[in-house]
Amino acid sequence: MLKKFIKDAFDKGLIEAVMAPSATKDSYTYALITKKDDVDKLTPIAPVMQWNGADMIRRITKLKKSERKLLAILRPCESRTYKELVKFNQINPENIIVLSYDCPGTVHARNFKFEPTSAEDLLAEMKNGNISKKVRESCQVCEYPTPIKGVGDIGFGIFNTNEPVFFSLSDNGKEFLASMGIQEGERDDSQWVKIHRENREKWLKEERITGGRKGLEDFLSSCLNCHNCKDMCPICFCKECFFEDHSVFDYESNKFYNWADDKEGIRLPTDKSLFHVGRLIHMGTSCVGCGLCQQACPMDIPLYRLFGIVGNDLQKVFNYKPGVDDDIPPVMDFREDELHEFEGLFGGEE
Amino acid sequence: MSEKKFDPVIVGFFCNWCTSAAADLAGTSRLHYPPNIRPIRVMCSSTVDPVYLIRALQEGADATILGGCHPGDCHYITGNYKARRRVAIVKTVLKSLGFDDTRVLLEWISGSEGPKFARVMNEYTDYIKQRGPSDFKYLDSLGGEEVE
Repeated sequence: MLKKFIKDAFDKGLIEAVMAPSATKDSYTYALITKKDDVDKLTPIAPVMQWNGADMIRRITKLKKSERKLLAILRPCESRTYKELVKFNQINPENIIVLSYDCPGTVHARNFKFEPTSAEDLLAEMKNGNISKKVRESCQVCEYPTPIKGVGDIGFGIFNTNEPVFFSLSDNGKEFLASMGIQEGERDDSQWVKIHRENREKWLKEERITGGRKGLEDFLSSCLNCHNCKDMCPICFCKECFFEDHSVFDYESNKFYNWADDKEGIRLPTDKSLFHVGRLIHMGTSCVGCGLCQQACPMDIPLYRLFGIVGNDLQKVFNYKPGVDDDIPPVMDFREDELHEFEGLFGGEE
Repeated sequence: MSEKKFDPVIVGFFCNWCTSAAADLAGTSRLHYPPNIRPIRVMCSSTVDPVYLIRALQEGADATILGGCHPGDCHYITGNYKARRRVAIVKTVLKSLGFDDTRVLLEWISGSEGPKFARVMNEYTDYIKQRGPSDFKYLDSLGGEEVE
């Protein structure tokens, strides 16, 4: 159905390139095609998310706007990332049409390698209204598993309908569907959203990391300090990360000995927990919840519990939903009259 | 640590135009404020990345103060509003993870408020003395005691 849509769009000259997942031996990667004949090499709905698609578009438009009309097929979390990166001036949205669909969730890339599943299986479970037990933790507690108005351009509805429907999410999408001659359809996704939100509420309560120093150290105890979570995070787009700056994090030997004196022994490498807390401070307000940090962790630390739950707290403070709201991200914006509870002695309790 | 009297280290990031001037005024007015404060003069409260605050806490400070101009009086027009958002982020992260978020203090002290500067420094030092040593500085170390 989606492949036919892409081929028709090629025929009508509405698009000149497509970015969508394509199967590899053990996984799925993103692929960019520019010819109608190559459409069959794509798998528009893949059971694995190895990279965040918005991050791939960021690479394409990094130096210059997209020169050809590009149709990007993104999951709802990726289209939220796309919107967030547009706000951060990391993606030039000109000439790009984003199509997003009712997402059945994705399997952990490593689990997929050893026990392959197909998107059809996941879609079948979705049609029965069950979140598959195979999908990643972040997918089970996804806040927005379906396309939302204003995020992306075209929605593709599969849940709760016999025939898939197309609907527009933006004016561009409306125009696109009209030129394609496709009648906009409707479907009810509230049930699918509801079961995810219920999972999420429970998860936010139960999986919270508490206990201050002990809690955080225990949670990160097996961390290798490899910074993979940062590399995979689509919001961590800085060319050079503060935590990899050698002018800040290289020390003279005496500094290590003095720390060991003062702190009754230190763990090496240093600054392991500081990296995670610092990264949380830098990107937490814009965490879209794709969960790739957790998938990228070689030690299987459930990092999304750290970034997702604390990120959720941060987003509540600023009343901001990353990738959904049209507002400027909190770290780039301010109001003159706000946040007085954070001023003054004792957290404003004075 | 328990045998010795607890003498906290408090790192203060004070903006060049207001809070640092207030510190000077407190000095020239012969007002007393505790020697536990280690002032660092920065050009604006918004130049302090929140990571510097937690880094100070991890390197051994028991508390940090970020001092800026009153809202609306920033020398760079809007710097202190941005600083306020950053402090809100740090405090929320510390609180969410179960750390003591009162270890980060944001205060607006203008250049003419020498007495306020001395009062805030005295009150905050007393408060931190009461709270005891921060456990954030023992993050990733083998030491540290339970703080009640």
